[in-house]
Amino acid sequence: MTKDLIDNTLPALEATNLTKKYEDGVLALDKVSFSVNRGEIFVMLGGNGAGKTTAINIFLNFIEPTSGEAKINGIVSHREPLRAKQHIAFVSENVMLYPNFTALQNLDFFARLGGKQDLTRDELQAVLLRVGLQEEVHHKRLKGFSKGMRQKCGIAIAIVKDASAILLDEPTSGLDPKAGRDFVELLKTLRDENKAILMSTHDIFRAREIADTVAIMDRGKIIMQQAAGELAGKDLENLYMQYMAGSNNHTTNTTGGVNAGHNS
Amino acid sequence: MLPTLINKELKAVILSPKFTGTFIVCTILILLSIYAGLTEYKESVRRYDAASQLVSQELQHQTTWARLHTKAYRAPDPMQIFVSGLEYDIGRWSPVSSQSTAKLKNSVYSDDSIYALFRVVDFTFIVQFVLTLFAILFTYNAVCGEREDGTLRLVFSSPVSRAQYLIAKCAGAWLGLVVPISIPILLGMLLVLLSGVPITADHWLRIGLLTGISLLLFTFFIVLGVFISLLTRRTSLSLMVALVVWVLFALIIPRAGVMFAGNMVDVPSVAEIEGQINGYSKDRWEEFYLGMEDRFAKMHGSEGEGIEMSEEKMWELMQAEDSLRKFVTEEINRYDLRLREDLRQRKNRQEKLALTLARLSPASSYQIGAMSLAGTSLDVKTRYEESINEYRNQFVKYADQMQAETGDLAGRMISMEVSDSSSNFTMSSSRDKKALDLSGLPRFDPPRVGLADAMAPAVTDFGILAIYIILTFMGAFIAFLRYDLR
Amino acid sequence: MLGIIVEKEIRDLLGSTKFAITFAACAVLVLLAFYVGAARHNLHQARYEASQTENLRSMKGISDWQELDEIRIFLPPQPLESLVSGVSNDINRTAIVRGRGDIPTEDSRYNEDPVFAIFRFIDLEFIFKVVLSLFAILLGYDAISGEKERGTLRLSFANSLPRRTYIAGKLIGAFLGLTVSLMVTIALGILILPLMGIVLSGQEWIKLILVIITGLLYFGVFLTLSIFISSLTYRSANSFLISLAVWVMCIYIIPGVSVLMAARSVEVPSSDEIAYKKSTLGIQLAEEFDEGMNHFAVKGSADPEELMSQLNSYIDSLNDVRDMKMQSLSSRLNEDRSNRRQTQENLAFNLARISPATSLSLATSHLAGTSLTLKNRFADQSREYQRAFGEFMLEKTGMNTGGMIKLRTSKSCGGGDDKEDEEPQPINTEELPKPMMSSFTFAESVNPALTDIAILIIYNFVFFAGAFIAFLRYDLR
Repeated sequence: MTKDLIDNTLPALEATNLTKKYEDGVLALDKVSFSVNRGEIFVMLGGNGAGKTTAINIFLNFIEPTSGEAKINGIVSHREPLRAKQHIAFVSENVMLYPNFTALQNLDFFARLGGKQDLTRDELQAVLLRVGLQEEVHHKRLKGFSKGMRQKCGIAIAIVKDASAILLDEPTSGLDPKAGRDFVELLKTLRDENKAILMSTHDIFRAREIADTVAIMDRGKIIMQQAAGELAGKDLENLYMQYMAGSNNHTTNTTGGVNAGHNS
Repeated sequence: MLPTLINKELKAVILSPKFTGTFIVCTILILLSIYAGLTEYKESVRRYDAASQLVSQELQHQTTWARLHTKAYRAPDPMQIFVSGLEYDIGRWSPVSSQSTAKLKNSVYSDDSIYALFRVVDFTFIVQFVLTLFAILFTYNAVCGEREDGTLRLVFSSPVSRAQYLIAKCAGAWLGLVVPISIPILLGMLLVLLSGVPITADHWLRIGLLTGISLLLFTFFIVLGVFISLLTRRTSLSLMVALVVWVLFALIIPRAGVMFAGNMVDVPSVAEIEGQINGYSKDRWEEFYLGMEDRFAKMHGSEGEGIEMSEEKMWELMQAEDSLRKFVTEEINRYDLRLREDLRQRKNRQEKLALTLARLSPASSYQIGAMSLAGTSLDVKTRYEESINEYRNQFVKYADQMQAETGDLAGRMISMEVSDSSSNFTMSSSRDKKALDLSGLPRFDPPRVGLADAMAPAVTDFGILAIYIILTFMGAFIAFLRYDLR
Repeated sequence: MLGIIVEKEIRDLLGSTKFAITFAACAVLVLLAFYVGAARHNLHQARYEASQTENLRSMKGISDWQELDEIRIFLPPQPLESLVSGVSNDINRTAIVRGRGDIPTEDSRYNEDPVFAIFRFIDLEFIFKVVLSLFAILLGYDAISGEKERGTLRLSFANSLPRRTYIAGKLIGAFLGLTVSLMVTIALGILILPLMGIVLSGQEWIKLILVIITGLLYFGVFLTLSIFISSLTYRSANSFLISLAVWVMCIYIIPGVSVLMAARSVEVPSSDEIAYKKSTLGIQLAEEFDEGMNHFAVKGSADPEELMSQLNSYIDSLNDVRDMKMQSLSSRLNEDRSNRRQTQENLAFNLARISPATSLSLATSHLAGTSLTLKNRFADQSREYQRAFGEFMLEKTGMNTGGMIKLRTSKSCGGGDDKEDEEPQPINTEELPKPMMSSFTFAESVNPALTDIAILIIYNFVFFAGAFIAFLRYDLR
């Protein structure tokens, strides 16, 4: 499979008026728009059911948007999913992988799915080393891996694909501090490699630590979006609580909530 | 504490999503099996009645006491509704005459082999293959599932002893599964009751015991499932182990045990035995003819005048022939019985070994017990052949007696008068012939299995199942004591 | 891309504990089936030979062909019968042949040894039908739902991976991985046959291979079926339960119920009724016979020997008349019965073919020569033998057997011209015609099996397509 030429002037990930209404009537996303450029870490912050995962699922074409579109390097995800998916890598919340495969076998399989057919074992092992998996576990089955180790495998899979955008769905939940720390460092190096990174989390501290842009989501809307620069010096946790409280008070008028938050 | 735990287990079983589906499937299958058994039974009764009618009509048509013959049919029994057992494998009738001993011939499966290709599915079958499978499906993850979910640690963070927990597991699953399963069984019995099949108190008791032994087997598989869930740490593995164990118990051990016994004890085939009997009987008949020739020659000699013989003498000779024929027939029958009895003995040994080996599996112990209770077990054949032989003796005795009274003879007299120009040829079988009066002829009364006869062998299987349950529970207990709760 | 998925699927399957356990169990059972089949075959062969020898031996003492009024012939074991028993244990295997008249049969194996009927035998067909299909379900039930639960489904589809490639790869991988490993076990099992002294002809080898291919197709049906069910459900526990319920239905319920339904809808006269009609006619004919005997008139000279031979042929002609009448009734009854029976069987089979298990049973039993036609064939062969035996006896004794009266010419007297004391010579049983018990020809076994093999192939495609389509609509989240 040949990779498309990428138009570098377009944002790697772009959501325009993304709306998703499920069959049961729940409005999971309500006209959400944002974009993530290369070399940027975009963090979606929000509680359970805020619509973060739905947004990621639309980028991955696991579900189709009700209206609006999610573009990856300018390719609309639900129109040309196979083309779009050449340019993204994905790390899920709880990476289980194939328990009967070794770390290397798992990586090899997903690398080849990602279009990297002819990587040598050394190259694959280099990626595993890069994410912090020591050589002695490369040939161990995933069955015995801890959550942190599995997550490292997951990020290795994302790295090995060498896509221009990486989607991460709650990647740090349940990781120990050291693993979380390592993870953040790794993300930073990926940003430095000019990758666009979209990450959903409910971990405020982690978000603050790495985000270039933070978007707070609630009930399918982005109720606040600020660049890291704007956030500097502000207490993000406080801000989050205020926005959430605002959004709860003004369920019919969330934009008002954003403004209210700004003013306070 | 225990009631709380049992209550929780009960709810866990009944509220689990698989419960409704399983319950519906089991209900349909149990009712279907009983309904099928019922229609098959009615068909058997119809067939039996028709056959009995035909047998008596056939008797009416016969004209000589000397060659009187009939058939004895096996009678259907309402218990076969639930346990068809060997009902369709064993011959349905045996010829009854002075010429032969009892031999059941023409089983339903040999007559209508299409049924043999897809055997009749009866209640015991459903219990043995479907209920056990579902029992194991409800319990294979009893403990390791809770460990995976993390609730095991939570439960044991409160003051619960392992014994209490295990008892609650088994008891809860038992209540949650056995009580619902009893509903279709009771409905099935209602169906039988409403169908108008005559069922005596004795039958009801046996049906009750059958239900009991069915639930016992069901219990075994529940406990077995719990035991397996304690041997493994992961549910996916324990499912595998549970199914492999089920395949072994339900499908392989019974068959393998019986086949092993078949290879261990060498039993000649009936065809071989019958070859021997045939050989013997041919020798005896040869002797008979030579003896008759001798006699004829002697008589002839005493008469001393060519071929002609007085008619009176001729009858005398025939009388002698008839009694000698009877004597030879009886000798042959005795030989026949002896060889068959010998074969029976060897088969008994083989069967005993086979059943013992098969009982290594609780499922086959159940099958054997259920068949004994229903009276459709291996001894059907012996029981019937014995009672048919007895009947045959009465039958033959009566026919002989009547023959003596009427002077009927088996042989035929042919007399020829030959002259140069014409010949006269007559043949008759008795001096004066009249229709047979069959009113005094004994009728075959099919042997009934007494309650005690049915229960005695079943007690063993009740015991075996109980022992299996206790052993498995103990195994589970020991395994649980060493179980890593993390 | 497809190759990657297939490869991964095979590796994933072969590396799992699940596979290790099932494969070990399968291997043991397949080997057991072959071993037991070979052992039983030898046992049956030995019994068959013993019966035959005993039967011949029983005639040894006879010095007069007239004494030989009946001959027992036995159905020889079919070469593949112990691997696919079909109805071979249920049908009567001994025929009692007289020169004329009906040929009663008796001694089915299960009637003879009911202990084996309780649990029936283990044969290769049973292992395929019940055990391997269960294992197929076990290996396929979590094909899709399991990947979903592990999260690998989302991860895989984060790549530009078309759904059809994925599901096709999955189906092909599972099918190849499992059937090839099964084939290895079966090949090992087949090695047991020559080791146990079973000699198969070239055609029988081909039939055996066809039996195995049919079995693998059947395995494939359950594998694709369980993957199909797996792609319709989101939780593997549900998928397993549904597959299991379908399994129970296919294996045990549908075939039995179909036969019962067919039996209800097509009335077939019972064998008792036919036996009764024949017996009534028989008694009537016996009276006619006695009547006929009185009309015997000697022609020509009254030489006793000449008289005897006249009487013999007179009786024979009476017997022929009697036999003809009986035959016409019996063929009418039998034809009616077999027509109805045929209708009933066809109905039953067609209903039962809803379940692939039926097609497996029918195809393999045809291939192994143990289908319902074995019974008819034995009857035909017995009739052929009856003809040969009748002609033989007529030639030897001037009178066929199976008549009402047996005339015996006294050697010492009666005939009038006493010969010098000749020691009676025992008959030479070698002279007897040999029953022609050829087994089914290649075409006879394979042709009727083709329909069911085709049905199995269709089932494979249907479930394959079903899984394919269902997966295209599968919610990947």
